[in-house]
Amino acid sequence: MLLELRDVSKRFGGLQAVAAVSMTVTAGTIHGLIGPNGAGKSTVFNLITGVLPVTSGEIRFKGERISTLRPSEICRRGIARTFQATTLFREFTVLDNVMAASHLGAERGFVRTLLATAAYRVREAAALARARDVLGAVRLLDAAGLRAGALPHRDQRALSLAMVLATGADLVILDEPLAGLTTQESEDAMKALRALRAGGKTILLVEHDMRAVMGLCDVITVLDHGVRIAEGMPRDIQANPAVIEAYLGAEDTRA
Amino acid sequence: MPPELRRVDGWIGFGLLLAAGVAVPLLTHDSYHLDVATVTLRNLLLTMSLRYVMSTGQLNMAHVSFMGIAAYASALLVTRAGWSFWAALPVAPLLAALAAVPVGRVALRVSGPYYFLISFAFLEVLRLVFNNFFVDYLGGPSGLVEIPPAHPLPLTGGAVTFTSKLAQYWLMLVLFLASAAVLIRLEFSRFGLVNGAIRQGELLAETLGVNVPRYKLGAFVLGAFFAGVAGVFFAHSQRVLHSSDFGLEPMVLLVAFTVMGGVGSVWGPVVGTLVLAVASELLRELHHYEILVYGLVLMVVMLFFPDGLVALPGRVARWFGRGRAKDGASTLGAGLAP
Amino acid sequence: MPIELLVQALLNGFGLAVVYVLVALGLTLIFSILEVINFAHGEFYMLGGFAAYYLFAVGGLNYFATLVLAVLLVGLAGVVAERLVFRHLRGKTLNAFIVSLGLLWVLQATAQLSFGVLDKSVPSAVSGIVRVGGVIVSRERLFVILTAVALITGLYLFLKFTRTGQAMRAVAQDTDAAALQGVNIELASALGFGIGCALAGAAGALLAPIFAVSPTMGALPVVKAFIIIIVGGMGSLPGAVLGGLLLGAVEGVGTLFMSSAAVNILGFLMVIAILLLRPRGLLGAA
Repeated sequence: MLLELRDVSKRFGGLQAVAAVSMTVTAGTIHGLIGPNGAGKSTVFNLITGVLPVTSGEIRFKGERISTLRPSEICRRGIARTFQATTLFREFTVLDNVMAASHLGAERGFVRTLLATAAYRVREAAALARARDVLGAVRLLDAAGLRAGALPHRDQRALSLAMVLATGADLVILDEPLAGLTTQESEDAMKALRALRAGGKTILLVEHDMRAVMGLCDVITVLDHGVRIAEGMPRDIQANPAVIEAYLGAEDTRA
Repeated sequence: MPPELRRVDGWIGFGLLLAAGVAVPLLTHDSYHLDVATVTLRNLLLTMSLRYVMSTGQLNMAHVSFMGIAAYASALLVTRAGWSFWAALPVAPLLAALAAVPVGRVALRVSGPYYFLISFAFLEVLRLVFNNFFVDYLGGPSGLVEIPPAHPLPLTGGAVTFTSKLAQYWLMLVLFLASAAVLIRLEFSRFGLVNGAIRQGELLAETLGVNVPRYKLGAFVLGAFFAGVAGVFFAHSQRVLHSSDFGLEPMVLLVAFTVMGGVGSVWGPVVGTLVLAVASELLRELHHYEILVYGLVLMVVMLFFPDGLVALPGRVARWFGRGRAKDGASTLGAGLAP
Repeated sequence: MPIELLVQALLNGFGLAVVYVLVALGLTLIFSILEVINFAHGEFYMLGGFAAYYLFAVGGLNYFATLVLAVLLVGLAGVVAERLVFRHLRGKTLNAFIVSLGLLWVLQATAQLSFGVLDKSVPSAVSGIVRVGGVIVSRERLFVILTAVALITGLYLFLKFTRTGQAMRAVAQDTDAAALQGVNIELASALGFGIGCALAGAAGALLAPIFAVSPTMGALPVVKAFIIIIVGGMGSLPGAVLGGLLLGAVEGVGTLFMSSAAVNILGFLMVIAILLLRPRGLLGAA
């Protein structure tokens, strides 16, 4: 059990976005979070990563309570995410984007930086090596010197993923990783995600492409109107009447 | 550009600054020219330190206030407490940096245009304090006068005094180069990288492990320190301090020089300050027309070069090299527009 | 201290502050819709004063018509400024600030070149005094207060009850969400800027007969507006009104006890207090 949500709720003024959701993510799995639009999936991601504070309930990662930590602290403990709208440091080159992520905002070492001590140089070299590895993994090494803002959409998404990997996170949270990709690109992406799992990463994702979700995920949690209505293996979820009801009821709005 | 290449950038740029700085007194001993050069260096220190703060996205209007705090602190330490200039020189900027901690913390509680407002409020409040309070110490509306120049330095072959324009220039040059070295070094390290990341996407940076408020405060305080260094020099070269030296007008000019040059690069303020210093000398005679021209130039540059003048060569290069990748990376195909 | 003196002082303070509230409302409206700092805001105040000077003092036009025209003209100038310049800078606070600085210099220099540096006075439009108990209020001041209040109320009603006003509020809250809901962002932006400047222009035209008109007249009101926004609450329109009332009361009573130079400091002391105790301002959003 890597990540555990216990009765997590989130209220925005009068609106209950997430209501007493409990969920566990097991290490080394690909875990899907699905549900019709407005079900609260993005909110759950924001709660896990500390972007939003929980109204009540608890979130534990590797046994430690993270629900009160700020996002940077949560990232340091091993959780990193992508965003639905691809967010990058647009003015930076591809390489700098990844370098920024691989430094993990380490704060100490001001004097060491100034004097460019050996310790500093060793760490810099390690960060650079990690950046190159990660760029190689998503096949963007050739684009290392290009401005991130100038990349085509699919490369921008690959870069987001590279940045997440550069943080060395154990739990990778992906918000609609397959959105806007062609069938072939989706296949490639799914292969890449399986490879990540094989390499020991845990993946939690939100996706609307049902075929991909069913084919990719080991476990699926289903939300509707902020409430968990089902959790289990793809086969069981597909047959679950409550799930079918939820999707039929809220006209599937796949773009 | 790969990090290794960027460090060379830093060395080359610093080398150019060093060379230009040393060349000036070799080319001229004219009092007026040396004075202009000295003031330009002082402004450069101010804009480069301001730019370091702004590289994290903080539009800090109180930057000159820290210059003022150090200036008054140094003046008082020397005239009232009998300190040597050389003792006050490291201490006064530290005091300014210390003062920057609470100010920075409060300002960080709000964002965007409101951060600007709060820092502007600090600017005005501190200026009013300099102008109207502790008159016995700060001099009130008539200013603080009779501040001695830097004390003579004993060196082999006699002491060096700092009353001549030439000596002051050298002092400022040394202070500037030392400060610029630190700022440039930081810029091409992970600090500079993270600062730029924060400016382009705070939330993204935070979720990638950057404690954004802590970094921003750090940049704010460091900027204040270097503004303080400029302030100490200012106090002992102008030898008179007046609250208007640390008010809205000088601050707004600094921001203009910095942003026009470009906040995204450590060389931005260099370009901006030099361009405007030259323009100022050329337009000196035109009074109101000068201001009109400045205003138009500012508007045009910011509208057409939102990244500042320093981005100009890059833009031109991209324009000519459409579709071609940079820095040795291979071509990725016609689908890529710059 | 005779109560009448206190009331008199408060009234004087309010009379000024309510006009500064107009400037503050305009500024905060522009902040919230475009996320832009219009540093040249004071110049639109100045344009309002100039409009009053040229139309009323020089042109002999009826004062009420002057006011209406001044507001419309300055509002139009605002829309032009937004369409030509500021619409490209929406959300880019830093760049917009520098551009507005440039605009300030351009407007200032143009004003000084065409108008000259000296103050020019504008005759009173409304004369006479009103006596209530022991308190004397000039009809002119009363007119200014009432007109300002009317404008503030009008703005409130517009933003709360008209579709356009609500659209503008939606953009101020969350531009992307508003766009997704089909709000015309360009219109909201142009109108927001125009109305913001119109408010400043109204303030300038209203105060023209009371203070002199000069190219630099916009500097002080803008500073007062900043104080009002910080104290009352960043991004809050009711906050601006509250902040204005507080500033008016403090400065009005302050002039009874200290010199006008010292009174200026009071405003900033209020700012320090707020920044130390509640940085988001009295009614500001968390």
